[in-house]
Amino acid sequence: MGACMFTDLLEYAVDLAGRLGASYAEARYHVNRSSQILVRFDKVIGVSLGSVNGIGIRVLYDGVLAFSATNDLTPDGIKKAVKQAITQAKLLSNTIHEARGLVEAKVGRVKYEGVAKKSFDSMALEDKLSLLKELWKRASDVVKEGKLTAFTVIYDEGEEVKEIVSSDGAYVASRIVRPSLSINFVLSHPQRGTIQRSVDFGASGGLELLGEWEPEGKIEEEVRAAERVLMYGVRPPKEPVEVVIGSEIIGLMVHESAGHPMEADRIWGREAAQAGESYVKPDMIGKERIGNELATVIDDPTIPGSYGFYLYDDEGVPARPRYIYLRGLINEPLHNRWTAYVFRAKSNASARAMNYASEPIPRMANTYLEPGDAEFEELIEDIGLGVYIKSYMEWNIDDIRWGQRYVGLEAYMIKRGELTEPVRNPVLELTTRTFYSSIIAKDKDLKFYPGLCGKGEPSQGVPVWFGGPDVKLSRVKLGVAPR
Amino acid sequence: MREEALDLANYVVEKGRRLGFDEVASIVRISRRVMVKFANNEITVVQNWMDTTIALYLVKEAKCVLTRLVCRTKNDIDRALKNVYDHMAHVEPSALYAPLPEPNGKTLEGLTDPKLVQSLGTTIEVVPQLIDEGLREGAQRLAGTFHAGHRIKALVTSKGAELSEEGTFIEVYARAFYEDNSGHWAWTSTKFNDDRVLEVGRKAASYSKIRLPVTRIEPGRYNAILSPLVVGNLMSYVARAASALATMLGLSMFTKYKPGTKIGSEIISIIDEPRDPLLPNSTGFDDEGIETRTKYIIRKGIFESYLHNTKTATRMRGQLTGNAGWLQPHPWNVVVEPGDIDEDDIFCEVGEGIFVLNNWYTRYQNIVEGQFSTVSRDVVLYVKGGEPKSIIRRVRIAEVFPNLLNNIVGLTKTKYDIAWWEVKPPVRVPFVIAKNVLFTRPEV
Repeated sequence: MGACMFTDLLEYAVDLAGRLGASYAEARYHVNRSSQILVRFDKVIGVSLGSVNGIGIRVLYDGVLAFSATNDLTPDGIKKAVKQAITQAKLLSNTIHEARGLVEAKVGRVKYEGVAKKSFDSMALEDKLSLLKELWKRASDVVKEGKLTAFTVIYDEGEEVKEIVSSDGAYVASRIVRPSLSINFVLSHPQRGTIQRSVDFGASGGLELLGEWEPEGKIEEEVRAAERVLMYGVRPPKEPVEVVIGSEIIGLMVHESAGHPMEADRIWGREAAQAGESYVKPDMIGKERIGNELATVIDDPTIPGSYGFYLYDDEGVPARPRYIYLRGLINEPLHNRWTAYVFRAKSNASARAMNYASEPIPRMANTYLEPGDAEFEELIEDIGLGVYIKSYMEWNIDDIRWGQRYVGLEAYMIKRGELTEPVRNPVLELTTRTFYSSIIAKDKDLKFYPGLCGKGEPSQGVPVWFGGPDVKLSRVKLGVAPR
Repeated sequence: MREEALDLANYVVEKGRRLGFDEVASIVRISRRVMVKFANNEITVVQNWMDTTIALYLVKEAKCVLTRLVCRTKNDIDRALKNVYDHMAHVEPSALYAPLPEPNGKTLEGLTDPKLVQSLGTTIEVVPQLIDEGLREGAQRLAGTFHAGHRIKALVTSKGAELSEEGTFIEVYARAFYEDNSGHWAWTSTKFNDDRVLEVGRKAASYSKIRLPVTRIEPGRYNAILSPLVVGNLMSYVARAASALATMLGLSMFTKYKPGTKIGSEIISIIDEPRDPLLPNSTGFDDEGIETRTKYIIRKGIFESYLHNTKTATRMRGQLTGNAGWLQPHPWNVVVEPGDIDEDDIFCEVGEGIFVLNNWYTRYQNIVEGQFSTVSRDVVLYVKGGEPKSIIRRVRIAEVFPNLLNNIVGLTKTKYDIAWWEVKPPVRVPFVIAKNVLFTRPEV
């Protein structure tokens, strides 16, 4: 596993919690290491190294769930943490109306690692810096009429190592490495104003990914496209038109309006004061339709090389694909063992914790809209007047995951089946039901995009992929962002 | 614990200097925190943290490396220093490098509540009372968070800073539901106060039980009454944009506006406040050991001050402001100066408009222009004839910050200390009235 393990200490924690009266206990050693470089234009601004490691202990005592985290990795430190969790659970146990538990599950005893063909140290730091500087050169070389007034690159090499032990027999040790690259630029023109774009890469694996991503070529494309929009972008049509949505936005849409509302803790209300609740009510599951036959959304942690990759969740349950929406039906929520207990369901291995100081809660991993079988050209060939929105910057969604807004960045008019002039700041503002009921066609090109999904209190950001094909929607009225 | 923190920070600096670094700074934080989450009137989880974190700033030949370690042993520190030293040969000099300053910061006293130090664990007994208070006020169910803690900070730099500080904090927020309606409130302080905790439940519930017909609005421009929850969220974005590094990177609306530029109406003043004993992020010294000071970011509508550390102040030929971050300067606590409107008169002042209690998910389309949207949550009221007439559900504010700031026409006398999931850092803000605010909603 390439890192020292803390099996004895974890077993001690679980055993002590049991002796102090916990009906369930789980202990997780968890380290997140990060090495990050920040570059502005072609100059290095700073390098940062981080290591966050410790042990998180979760106990169930008299129906109260309590969590303690410490980075004092000594028997004394662990003893204090366990006792603290038990003491506080006791303090609140008389206020519990209905004792909750964790559903039984078949848990794993396993060690696994994500595949990395080229390790992070297989490339000298100087060569990594050269690559990051090359991005600025390639971007600035393609600008014709505007000026790049901001250009920042953040390159990160992350490593996550975990070892989990539970009182019902789970033992899961894992190591996953993830490089990521984020490029943010602002293109300005004295008369046309400014346009901002972020381009992100992220996956699990090693430095072989830098070659696969080809960020130098991608940034050229992005800068060229942004300049076209800045210089020549027109307002979107005022009347409702057919719209083709690019896979980048589709990925985000299914993450926001399928994945999040199908997190069982939201449905129950556990996140009500933070990330919100859900338009989905328990009695809709398996019964109510939210979209048409083309609306199948899957969340699959087991995709090799994905940003949200894992084979066992943080409660030791083996992972599998979850069909969140199935041909338009509200189908399978994301459960950890706590929500599965509340819903009288089975865990589907959705428990994830950001780091040792975080409790495991239901999370997405890699969420995508099932692709179709059309070519992209077939999506636009019969559109007389429409808009293709390829990428976005601004987005948000309400706290029940119903009303959502996406503001296009790279977008084009579609006229008589052809992409024509660029469109600036088209706004797609619609409800979840409208979106999933308006899908007319999907192409077969499934693409994924990385993100850091936020939820929980304290807020936990976990790496995810979201994706999908390009999608044609029936007529929609587009807005335009204020300037 | 202060001695323990100082000892570790001193060890980092001494060891780092011996290894051959030109400059070393270290911040050690030791904290104990407890958090209770509740939902559907139940405690859902109680969480505890006992952590030591060590942040290191290391320089050799103008090459700068930052490291954050969650660890507590000198062995861990030795390993980290060696790792960075080995790394250094391959790192380039930072384009922003400037030497650490001569320290002049002093410890700020009065940030600690003995109750939160001595009885942190038992303060959580107030949570069931908060829930009961909200239910008594008329809510059907409550959700929220109680978070409190005690933290020690020690800073040692190779320029001679050797400072430590101690503080406590409490952050409480609740969301109350009645049928399809909800209310929200929040409170933060350095001092525990039962009454203020219970008030959070009571106020959230009072908004949840508003009974009015539900109507829809057409997208367009309306007068807006923004509650302190909304003002806190939006003005934090404005305050963070004043970070000189963000402006240098071209990732701030202040990239376009130099100090002295009018950016808002003359009644809006936004202050970075690091020295108020009741606001939890208050501190006497920044991460470089410079004394913090209260400063206007925007005074009477005029952009007045960037937030600087030594790197940005050197580069931009500005004065240090006591806002370091070794790399990124940042605000400590954000204060919006109050106005002259009685809170009870706020609907009358507006006549016709939209009251927004709470918001979330603020996102930029273009950070340089300050072009953003944000989504309302909890109760939104349509006001006409000086009275709330109906409830509107889940609308959006889609605006450009300079427009919004210029359109502020009123602020209340009363102000509230708030921090919650969507408002960080802590704020002290009033209700705000703004004219011509663009509201949108989804096409159904």
